Amino acid sequence: MAKIFIIDDDEQLLRMVSLMLERGGHSTRLISNPVEGLQAVKEDKPDLLVLDVMMPGMSGHDIARDIRANKGLENLPILILTARAQEIDRETALKSGANDYLSKPVTSQELIEKVDELLSQPNQKMMPDRGVIIGMFGLRGGVGQTTLAVNLASALRRISQQEVCLVDFSPSGGQVALHLRLQLRHSWLDLPPLADLDWLALKGNLTLHPSGLRLLAAPQVPQLATEPSPEMAAKVIDLLQKQSAFMVIDVPRLFGPAFMAMMERVDIALHVLTPDVISVQTAVQLNRLLEKSNLKFKQKSYILNQVQVDSQIPQATVEKGLNARVASKINFDPNQARALSQGVPLTLTSAKSPLATMMNRMAEVINNRVAKRSGD
Amino acid sequence: MGATHFGRNQLIHMDMFTDAYRVTGRVLVGAGGIHAELANPSSSFLELKDAYISRIHQPGEIVTHYKVAAFSKDNINFIVLQDRREGIPVGTQHGRSIYTRGRALSVFLTVPSFEISGEIMHDGKVAPREILVQSVGRYQLVFSAKALASLYPQISYSGDLILVQKDRIGIFCLDG
Repeated sequence: MAKIFIIDDDEQLLRMVSLMLERGGHSTRLISNPVEGLQAVKEDKPDLLVLDVMMPGMSGHDIARDIRANKGLENLPILILTARAQEIDRETALKSGANDYLSKPVTSQELIEKVDELLSQPNQKMMPDRGVIIGMFGLRGGVGQTTLAVNLASALRRISQQEVCLVDFSPSGGQVALHLRLQLRHSWLDLPPLADLDWLALKGNLTLHPSGLRLLAAPQVPQLATEPSPEMAAKVIDLLQKQSAFMVIDVPRLFGPAFMAMMERVDIALHVLTPDVISVQTAVQLNRLLEKSNLKFKQKSYILNQVQVDSQIPQATVEKGLNARVASKINFDPNQARALSQGVPLTLTSAKSPLATMMNRMAEVINNRVAKRSGD
Repeated sequence: MGATHFGRNQLIHMDMFTDAYRVTGRVLVGAGGIHAELANPSSSFLELKDAYISRIHQPGEIVTHYKVAAFSKDNINFIVLQDRREGIPVGTQHGRSIYTRGRALSVFLTVPSFEISGEIMHDGKVAPREILVQSVGRYQLVFSAKALASLYPQISYSGDLILVQKDRIGIFCLDG
């Protein structure tokens, strides 16, 4: 449950937005005077601010600028909600320091989705100076982890137009290349010994997808299972981080030293699970293992991926089991079977399918944060 | 906002443009939408509540705000609406209204500082003069429309309906 402040001079709208957010499980504070609202934000820092633009005395843009100039509030997620619905209004809102923008009228679902998305965003301070590393992980197979990793990487490449690298460290028979229908010449198994491993050697083992995405693949043909050493995994990640704006790692489902070496380096850890009992139990067990290992994530979120038509257990039950909120829920996407057979990720084709919509949104959020940081 | 209901007045949000300003505010309209309000002969002014004024070249920034503002109907170049039902009655019990009858024609026209493109609905001979004379009222309705600032082409406004004052039209081009 997040503490959300809403500043809007329209009291009827304030109550409506508050009702929507409270139904979404958040607590709200309503402020109709913009000057008082700004003061309240400074005094009692909320987790998120919903802000109107057109208010007498002080516009929402002015409030956003003031907040951004305030030490300690630079990273407060701000959602602008306004009747000004033009593209130029969106641009102005983002320039003033808001993280996102919605135009009125807004549906309850739109608002809650946007708020949850902002709340699950990584904190700007957590981002390193070099490429951002996103780790998709989980110990249960069949939850769509590879599908999500491929789609997120493709979306990041398309949206950012920067170097994006996808890493498949599977010990044997990696699936990422199949998702992208790539004929592989190299895999991480072909990398030279640690002492000889440098960027040039690594680059020669990357496979380029037509979208511009680079892939460090796992061997396509099943081999005797071999895990990369933790030192090898760490060095590969460090080298790739220097050369890429974003790196997405499809972390192998094998809890061990290599797994830990990868997870220690990720900036955004995305724990993938499906809405079924075994998946939740596996996630809880993995959490215990990670706790025992004293691994502290800079940012961790849960992705609930519905890979079957029917959901076994509702999201609320999953959250209860995890004792944490699910940041993103992806509904069953019938288009995924076609995407897999065609070897083209949904984020490169079906922009409106559930999976593509969610992954594109996630990529946009990550990219916007990094772009904003670079602009500061 | 949903469809206007017969006999009920309601406040609608709109973006209004003069030669140099963008004004966002709310207007009280009846069943005939803003088009009927503009055609109302009993007043030469359009009254906006909560008017937020921006300059054309910085349309996202609010220069000033007033609780109530009256605008001379003669000085309005065009009005952008996100829902055509706020502008006109789109249908009657017997089918489409007089504003939405006919076939769709692509149109490009200019008003001071702006180029507007979209579709008009016309029932009859396809000629600019015919269309401008035959269409009801002093505002030409352009559906699924986009207005582009001539001097700042990166600035544009889209709307389900743009009402363009006929007297302000400089160029009127048809594609039909």
